[in-house]
Amino acid sequence: MSSAAARSHWLIVADSEVIVRNVLSDYLRQCGYKVIDAANTDEVRVILETGSAPVDAILSDAELGGTLNAFALRIMVRDRWPDIAFILVGNVDAAAKAAGELCDEGPHLKRPYDPQAVLAHIRRLLGNARR
Amino acid sequence: MGTHEGRVSERKDVMGKQTILVVEDEVMIRMLMSDVLRDEGYLVIEAANGDEGKDLLMSGHDIDLIVTDVRMPGQIDGVELAAIAKRLEPERPVVVVSGHLPPAAANSADEFIAKPYLPSTFLQVILKLIGPPCHQPPHDRTG
Repeated sequence: MSSAAARSHWLIVADSEVIVRNVLSDYLRQCGYKVIDAANTDEVRVILETGSAPVDAILSDAELGGTLNAFALRIMVRDRWPDIAFILVGNVDAAAKAAGELCDEGPHLKRPYDPQAVLAHIRRLLGNARR
Repeated sequence: MGTHEGRVSERKDVMGKQTILVVEDEVMIRMLMSDVLRDEGYLVIEAANGDEGKDLLMSGHDIDLIVTDVRMPGQIDGVELAAIAKRLEPERPVVVVSGHLPPAAANSADEFIAKPYLPSTFLQVILKLIGPPCHQPPHDRTG
Protein backbone atom coordinates (compact mmCIF):
# COMPACT_ATOMS: atom_id res chain seq x y z
CA MET A 1 0.00 0.00 0.00
CA SER A 2 1.07 3.60 -0.44
CA SER A 3 2.66 5.43 2.46
CA ALA A 4 0.51 6.01 5.51
CA ALA A 5 0.42 9.75 4.91
CA ALA A 6 -0.91 9.33 1.37
CA ARG A 7 -3.55 6.68 2.12
CA SER A 8 -7.17 7.53 1.62
CA HIS A 9 -8.22 4.35 3.46
CA TRP A 10 -10.62 3.28 0.76
CA LEU A 11 -10.84 -0.42 0.00
CA ILE A 12 -12.71 -2.59 -2.42
CA VAL A 13 -13.76 -5.98 -1.06
CA ALA A 14 -14.52 -8.28 -3.96
CA ASP A 15 -16.02 -11.72 -3.46
CA SER A 16 -18.68 -13.64 -5.33
CA GLU A 17 -20.01 -15.06 -2.07
CA VAL A 18 -22.25 -12.36 -0.64
CA ILE A 19 -22.00 -13.50 2.97
CA VAL A 20 -18.20 -13.52 2.91
CA ARG A 21 -18.16 -10.14 1.21
CA ASN A 22 -20.50 -8.50 3.71
CA VAL A 23 -18.79 -9.88 6.80
CA LEU A 24 -15.33 -8.86 5.58
CA SER A 25 -16.57 -5.41 4.56
CA ASP A 26 -18.26 -4.89 7.89
CA TYR A 27 -15.09 -5.87 9.76
CA LEU A 28 -12.93 -3.54 7.69
CA ARG A 29 -15.37 -0.66 8.23
CA GLN A 30 -14.99 -1.22 11.93
CA CYS A 31 -11.25 -0.94 11.37
CA GLY A 32 -11.89 2.54 10.02
CA TYR A 33 -11.77 1.90 6.30
CA LYS A 34 -14.27 3.15 3.80
CA VAL A 35 -15.26 0.01 1.94
CA ILE A 36 -16.92 -0.58 -1.39
CA ASP A 37 -18.39 -4.01 -2.02
CA ALA A 38 -17.95 -5.65 -5.41
CA ALA A 39 -19.62 -8.89 -6.44
CA ASN A 40 -17.51 -9.57 -9.51
CA THR A 41 -14.62 -8.27 -11.62
CA ASP A 42 -16.94 -6.14 -13.75
CA GLU A 43 -18.08 -4.22 -10.69
CA VAL A 44 -14.46 -3.64 -9.64
CA ARG A 45 -13.74 -2.21 -13.08
CA VAL A 46 -16.74 0.09 -12.96
CA ILE A 47 -15.72 1.40 -9.54
CA LEU A 48 -12.15 2.07 -10.66
CA GLU A 49 -13.00 3.48 -14.07
CA THR A 50 -15.56 5.92 -12.74
CA GLY A 51 -12.99 7.19 -10.27
CA SER A 52 -15.71 7.44 -7.66
CA ALA A 53 -13.33 6.76 -4.79
CA PRO A 54 -9.56 7.00 -4.21
CA VAL A 55 -9.05 3.28 -3.73
CA ASP A 56 -5.92 2.21 -1.85
CA ALA A 57 -6.33 -1.51 -2.05
CA ILE A 58 -8.47 -4.33 -3.33
CA LEU A 59 -9.06 -7.50 -1.34
CA SER A 60 -10.25 -10.06 -3.84
CA ASP A 61 -11.20 -13.69 -3.84
CA ALA A 62 -9.12 -15.64 -6.35
CA GLU A 63 -12.29 -17.21 -7.73
CA LEU A 64 -14.07 -13.92 -8.29
CA GLY A 65 -16.43 -14.16 -11.24
CA GLY A 66 -16.98 -11.75 -14.09
CA THR A 67 -15.85 -11.04 -17.61
CA LEU A 68 -12.23 -11.17 -16.44
CA ASN A 69 -11.03 -13.66 -13.89
CA ALA A 70 -9.37 -12.36 -10.73
CA PHE A 71 -5.86 -12.88 -12.04
CA ALA A 72 -6.53 -10.96 -15.23
CA LEU A 73 -8.13 -8.24 -13.13
CA ARG A 74 -5.02 -8.05 -10.97
CA ILE A 75 -2.85 -7.61 -14.06
CA MET A 76 -5.15 -4.90 -15.38
CA VAL A 77 -5.16 -3.06 -12.06
CA ARG A 78 -1.37 -3.28 -11.82
CA ASP A 79 -1.02 -1.85 -15.31
CA ARG A 80 -3.62 0.92 -15.08
CA TRP A 81 -3.61 1.76 -11.39
CA PRO A 82 -0.15 0.79 -10.09
CA ASP A 83 -0.64 2.57 -6.77
CA ILE A 84 -3.51 0.27 -5.80
CA ALA A 85 -2.45 -2.76 -3.77
CA PHE A 86 -4.12 -5.94 -4.97
CA ILE A 87 -4.48 -8.67 -2.38
CA LEU A 88 -5.62 -11.98 -3.81
CA VAL A 89 -6.83 -14.66 -1.41
CA GLY A 90 -7.69 -18.27 -2.16
CA ASN A 91 -10.06 -19.12 0.66
CA VAL A 92 -12.01 -17.66 3.53
CA ASP A 93 -9.28 -18.33 6.08
CA ALA A 94 -6.79 -16.36 3.99
CA ALA A 95 -9.34 -13.60 3.49
CA ALA A 96 -9.92 -13.26 7.23
CA LYS A 97 -6.14 -13.22 7.85
CA ALA A 98 -5.65 -10.56 5.16
CA ALA A 99 -8.48 -8.51 6.66
CA GLY A 100 -6.74 -8.67 10.03
CA GLU A 101 -3.49 -7.46 8.50
CA LEU A 102 -5.25 -4.65 6.67
CA CYS A 103 -6.87 -3.71 9.94
CA ASP A 104 -3.46 -3.42 11.59
CA GLU A 105 -2.52 -0.87 8.93
CA GLY A 106 -5.85 0.88 8.94
CA PRO A 107 -6.99 4.19 10.41
CA HIS A 108 -7.78 2.77 13.84
CA LEU A 109 -4.50 0.84 14.01
CA LYS A 110 -6.11 -1.92 16.00
CA ARG A 111 -8.47 -4.80 15.40
CA PRO A 112 -12.01 -4.47 16.78
CA TYR A 113 -11.86 -8.22 17.35
CA ASP A 114 -9.79 -11.16 16.22
CA PRO A 115 -10.11 -12.24 12.58
CA GLN A 116 -10.94 -15.73 13.88
CA ALA A 117 -14.27 -14.24 14.98
CA VAL A 118 -14.75 -13.01 11.41
CA LEU A 119 -14.18 -16.54 10.19
CA ALA A 120 -16.58 -18.00 12.73
CA HIS A 121 -19.25 -15.49 11.78
CA ILE A 122 -18.86 -16.27 8.08
CA ARG A 123 -19.09 -20.00 8.70
CA ARG A 124 -22.16 -19.64 10.88
CA LEU A 125 -24.02 -17.49 8.35
CA LEU A 126 -23.00 -19.74 5.47
CA GLY A 127 -24.20 -22.74 7.41
CA ASN A 128 -27.57 -21.09 8.02
CA ALA A 129 -27.98 -20.07 4.39
CA ARG A 130 -27.27 -23.53 3.08
CA ARG A 131 -29.75 -25.42 5.28
CA MET B 1 -34.42 -19.37 10.43
CA GLY B 2 -34.95 -15.78 9.43
CA THR B 3 -37.39 -15.08 12.25
CA HIS B 4 -36.56 -12.37 14.72
CA GLU B 5 -35.56 -14.97 17.30
CA GLY B 6 -33.24 -16.66 14.82
CA ARG B 7 -31.36 -13.56 13.72
CA VAL B 8 -27.65 -13.36 14.25
CA SER B 9 -26.55 -10.14 15.91
CA GLU B 10 -22.82 -10.39 16.44
CA ARG B 11 -21.71 -6.93 17.33
CA LYS B 12 -22.45 -5.59 20.77
CA ASP B 13 -21.10 -2.19 19.79
CA VAL B 14 -23.85 -1.73 17.23
CA MET B 15 -26.72 -3.43 19.01
CA GLY B 16 -29.64 -1.08 18.76
CA LYS B 17 -28.63 0.08 15.29
CA GLN B 18 -30.99 -0.85 12.52
CA THR B 19 -29.75 -2.83 9.54
CA ILE B 20 -30.95 -2.36 6.00
CA LEU B 21 -30.45 -4.82 3.17
CA VAL B 22 -29.90 -3.06 -0.15
CA VAL B 23 -30.41 -5.24 -3.22
CA GLU B 24 -29.35 -3.60 -6.49
CA ASP B 25 -27.40 -4.92 -9.45
CA GLU B 26 -25.98 -1.58 -10.64
CA VAL B 27 -22.90 -1.19 -8.47
CA MET B 28 -22.75 2.61 -8.51
CA ILE B 29 -26.43 2.92 -7.57
CA ARG B 30 -25.98 0.33 -4.83
CA MET B 31 -22.95 2.25 -3.57
CA LEU B 32 -24.87 5.53 -3.55
CA MET B 33 -27.89 4.07 -1.75
CA SER B 34 -25.67 2.37 0.81
CA ASP B 35 -23.61 5.51 1.39
CA VAL B 36 -26.74 7.60 1.95
CA LEU B 37 -27.97 5.11 4.54
CA ARG B 38 -24.59 4.68 6.28
CA ASP B 39 -24.09 8.45 6.44
CA GLU B 40 -27.45 8.61 8.21
CA GLY B 41 -26.22 6.02 10.73
CA TYR B 42 -27.86 2.81 9.58
CA LEU B 43 -25.95 -0.41 9.16
CA VAL B 44 -26.13 -1.64 5.60
CA ILE B 45 -25.55 -4.99 3.99
CA GLU B 46 -25.49 -5.24 0.24
CA ALA B 47 -26.58 -7.75 -2.35
CA ALA B 48 -25.91 -7.51 -6.05
CA ASN B 49 -28.99 -9.46 -7.13
CA GLY B 50 -32.03 -11.32 -5.86
CA ASP B 51 -30.21 -14.60 -5.37
CA GLU B 52 -27.69 -12.91 -3.07
CA GLY B 53 -30.52 -11.15 -1.30
CA LYS B 54 -32.18 -14.47 -0.63
CA ASP B 55 -28.93 -15.95 0.70
CA LEU B 56 -28.62 -13.09 3.15
CA LEU B 57 -32.24 -13.43 4.27
CA MET B 58 -31.83 -17.17 4.78
CA SER B 59 -28.55 -16.76 6.68
CA GLY B 60 -30.38 -15.29 9.66
CA HIS B 61 -28.50 -12.02 9.38
CA ASP B 62 -30.16 -9.31 11.43
CA ILE B 63 -32.12 -7.24 8.88
CA ASP B 64 -34.71 -4.62 9.78
CA LEU B 65 -35.74 -3.46 6.30
CA ILE B 66 -35.17 -4.51 2.72
CA VAL B 67 -34.77 -2.18 -0.26
CA THR B 68 -34.78 -3.95 -3.56
CA ASP B 69 -34.62 -3.15 -7.22
CA VAL B 70 -36.96 -5.17 -9.39
CA ARG B 71 -35.14 -6.12 -12.57
CA MET B 72 -31.91 -7.88 -11.75
CA PRO B 73 -29.97 -10.72 -13.34
CA GLY B 74 -30.26 -14.16 -11.82
CA GLN B 75 -33.05 -16.51 -10.85
CA ILE B 76 -34.86 -14.26 -8.39
CA ASP B 77 -36.11 -10.78 -9.23
CA GLY B 78 -37.05 -8.10 -6.77
CA VAL B 79 -40.73 -9.02 -6.72
CA GLU B 80 -39.99 -12.60 -5.78
CA LEU B 81 -37.41 -11.50 -3.24
CA ALA B 82 -39.98 -9.22 -1.64
CA ALA B 83 -42.39 -12.15 -1.42
CA ILE B 84 -39.71 -14.35 0.16
CA ALA B 85 -38.90 -11.64 2.67
CA LYS B 86 -42.56 -11.30 3.64
CA ARG B 87 -42.96 -15.05 4.07
CA LEU B 88 -39.98 -15.07 6.43
CA GLU B 89 -41.01 -12.01 8.45
CA PRO B 90 -44.36 -10.50 7.49
CA GLU B 91 -43.89 -7.44 9.68
CA ARG B 92 -40.47 -6.48 8.28
CA PRO B 93 -40.84 -3.62 5.78
CA VAL B 94 -39.93 -4.09 2.14
CA VAL B 95 -39.32 -1.17 -0.20
CA VAL B 96 -39.34 -1.76 -3.95
CA VAL B 97 -37.44 0.63 -6.19
CA SER B 98 -38.16 0.64 -9.89
CA GLY B 99 -39.07 2.63 -12.93
CA HIS B 100 -42.62 1.41 -12.55
CA LEU B 101 -44.40 -0.65 -9.91
CA PRO B 102 -45.00 -4.20 -11.09
CA PRO B 103 -48.54 -5.20 -10.12
CA ALA B 104 -47.23 -8.37 -8.46
CA ALA B 105 -45.13 -6.30 -6.07
CA ALA B 106 -48.15 -4.54 -4.62
CA ASN B 107 -48.84 -7.48 -2.29
CA SER B 108 -45.32 -7.69 -0.89
CA ALA B 109 -44.01 -4.12 -0.91
CA ASP B 110 -44.76 -1.71 1.90
CA GLU B 111 -43.53 1.23 -0.13
CA PHE B 112 -42.58 1.90 -3.71
CA ILE B 113 -39.98 4.43 -4.82
CA ALA B 114 -39.98 5.40 -8.48
CA LYS B 115 -36.67 5.85 -10.25
CA PRO B 116 -35.09 8.33 -10.54
CA TYR B 117 -35.32 9.56 -6.98
CA LEU B 118 -33.58 12.01 -4.71
CA PRO B 119 -31.56 10.71 -1.75
CA SER B 120 -33.77 12.81 0.53
CA THR B 121 -36.90 11.08 -0.80
CA PHE B 122 -35.27 7.70 -0.26
CA LEU B 123 -34.35 8.59 3.32
CA GLN B 124 -37.81 9.91 4.11
CA VAL B 125 -39.34 6.58 3.13
CA ILE B 126 -36.86 4.65 5.27
CA LEU B 127 -37.43 6.91 8.27
CA LYS B 128 -41.17 6.56 7.90
CA LEU B 129 -40.97 2.77 7.93
CA ILE B 130 -38.38 2.02 10.61
CA GLY B 131 -37.54 5.31 12.24
CA PRO B 132 -34.02 6.55 12.99
CA PRO B 133 -30.94 4.30 12.92
CA CYS B 134 -30.93 3.55 16.66
CA HIS B 135 -34.25 2.04 17.65
CA GLN B 136 -33.57 0.99 21.20
CA PRO B 137 -33.82 3.52 24.02
CA PRO B 138 -30.44 4.07 25.72
CA HIS B 139 -31.39 2.29 28.94
CA ASP B 140 -32.17 -0.90 26.97
CA ARG B 141 -28.85 -1.09 25.13
CA THR B 142 -26.25 -3.59 26.21
CA GLY B 143 -22.51 -3.76 25.61
